[in-house]
Amino acid sequence: MLRILLINDTARKVGRLKAALTEAGFEVIDESGLTIDLPARVETVRPDVILIDTESPGRDVMEQVVLVSRDQPRPIVMFTDEHDPNVMRQAIRAGVSAYIIEGIQAQRLQPILDVAMARFESDQALRAQLHARDQQLAERKRIELAKGLLMKMKDCNEEEAYTLMRRQAMSRQQKLIQVAEQIIAMSELLG
Amino acid sequence: MNDPLAWVNGSDAPEKSSLDLGFMALTDCASLVVAATQGFAQPYGLTLNLKRQSSWANLRDKLVSGELDAAHSLYGLIYAVHLGIGGVAPCPMAVLMGLNQNGQSINLSRGLQTQGVVTPEALERHVHQSRTKLTFAQTFPTGTHAMWLYYWLASQGIHPLRDVNSVVVPPPQMVAHLQAGRIEGFCVGEPWSASAVKENQGFTLATSQSIWPDHPEKVLGCTQAFVDEYPNTARVLVMAILEASRFIEQGSENRRSTAQLLSAREYLDAPLDCIEPRLLGNYDDGLGNQWQDPHALRFFAGGEVNLPYLSDGMWFMTQFRRWGLLREDPDYLGVARQVQQLALYRQAAETLGIAAGDSEMRSSQLIDGKTWDGSDPAGYARSFRLHALADDASRQALR
Repeated sequence: MLRILLINDTARKVGRLKAALTEAGFEVIDESGLTIDLPARVETVRPDVILIDTESPGRDVMEQVVLVSRDQPRPIVMFTDEHDPNVMRQAIRAGVSAYIIEGIQAQRLQPILDVAMARFESDQALRAQLHARDQQLAERKRIELAKGLLMKMKDCNEEEAYTLMRRQAMSRQQKLIQVAEQIIAMSELLG
Repeated sequence: MNDPLAWVNGSDAPEKSSLDLGFMALTDCASLVVAATQGFAQPYGLTLNLKRQSSWANLRDKLVSGELDAAHSLYGLIYAVHLGIGGVAPCPMAVLMGLNQNGQSINLSRGLQTQGVVTPEALERHVHQSRTKLTFAQTFPTGTHAMWLYYWLASQGIHPLRDVNSVVVPPPQMVAHLQAGRIEGFCVGEPWSASAVKENQGFTLATSQSIWPDHPEKVLGCTQAFVDEYPNTARVLVMAILEASRFIEQGSENRRSTAQLLSAREYLDAPLDCIEPRLLGNYDDGLGNQWQDPHALRFFAGGEVNLPYLSDGMWFMTQFRRWGLLREDPDYLGVARQVQQLALYRQAAETLGIAAGDSEMRSSQLIDGKTWDGSDPAGYARSFRLHALADDASRQALR
């Protein structure tokens, strides 16, 4: 069963939404406390989905939650009574997984949340792939830089420089990138 | 917003940029560790994350579930999963390349040594004259070590399923079980044999290369689904590991630093002096004999090690049949063609200028004098004096 943290800190009555969610078979945890406690609450409740009002002042706090829980991110779903497709589109572009309009019927909630979960998961996978790609591109550049420095220092060719760096890394049980960083640091020190 | 991965479409860049690779703490996982840590995959836009596994069964389950993208695998294990032998439903599997040849061994306890059991002949006499059955350990029911142990025992006139007990023990625990007297012998990969000798718990009676010089051993295995979904990724993965394999064999200094890297806590977590000598081909059997082995563990040999010959894959199926793990002859050649990714391997090797030859089979002579060349697998499986082709024996083998 999906566990939903419903952040209830605006004047909007969430009674109907909550009833609809419960009726649709979700476990709803109503959070009406101080928004300052939100990160801690998310940590203890560990919801599958976070539902928040578009007008909620807590949205800034959610930004913090998103950053703090970067390693275990959760989909965030907005609810609103405005039926403005532009607002929704912008929010979704900004990383919100789905939108729920106040007054929605219970049977329509399940598919929306399913889509939100799926969308969120694929976003996360994409993000992880991009992150891995950025990181290895950065590592590759550092290794190239170190190789160039070593070629100058040792007056050797590219392959010899790689071999020297790799042997050094392996005998010290390190990764190539670590030795590359050491070479770069040393060369900066010696100017 | 443009799809940031769109540039991948239509190019031959890897579809997936970060791969989780499983391995077991064994010296012959070296090419994976070197490829992942020494920057061999980065030029292809690939990050390799090493995931050490605690058992072959666990590694297998994670491969099948997709939690691991590819893994350092026992040759036989891949075929067992593909054919549905053992604890899982059949799942189409793929062998991307061979990772190494040789370098496993059969070891006996010091207890047997004190009874004068230090030669194959003495072991055969002991087995047939003693009233209690000896217990031998291997690492996985359908794995290479089980097959080397069975083949070797049978070549000495000992029936591996009737004359002795055969049990499974994870490689790093072999020495402890030997010490505790729960087993009298075992077949395992390094550094666990060298470690038994070093700790004076046992001695090496036979190397796997004495059973079959340059025999196939570990492979880079994955599911067929992985190859279908990520063909470019699979190809550059093979290229990165081929280059690492070549690097390991460029001079003894590279082999030595490979040994140092492997001994680290996150890889083998074993002392350097148990890893380095046999990785350099320097054997000490614990009985006072030392030699430089001409068929020691090798990772590359100009690419000879890495070509996934159909005949290598088929051999394991013939032994499954021989020992009753398969109750009927499979379509040996058809199955091998599905599993061995020869075309993909050849593309990768040729891009790197590594010889990949035209042949799909190779011919070898094994310890019992028989030749295996892949030409008549069903006949070969039935040609052994000692076997367990009958159904009642197959239950024993599965135990």
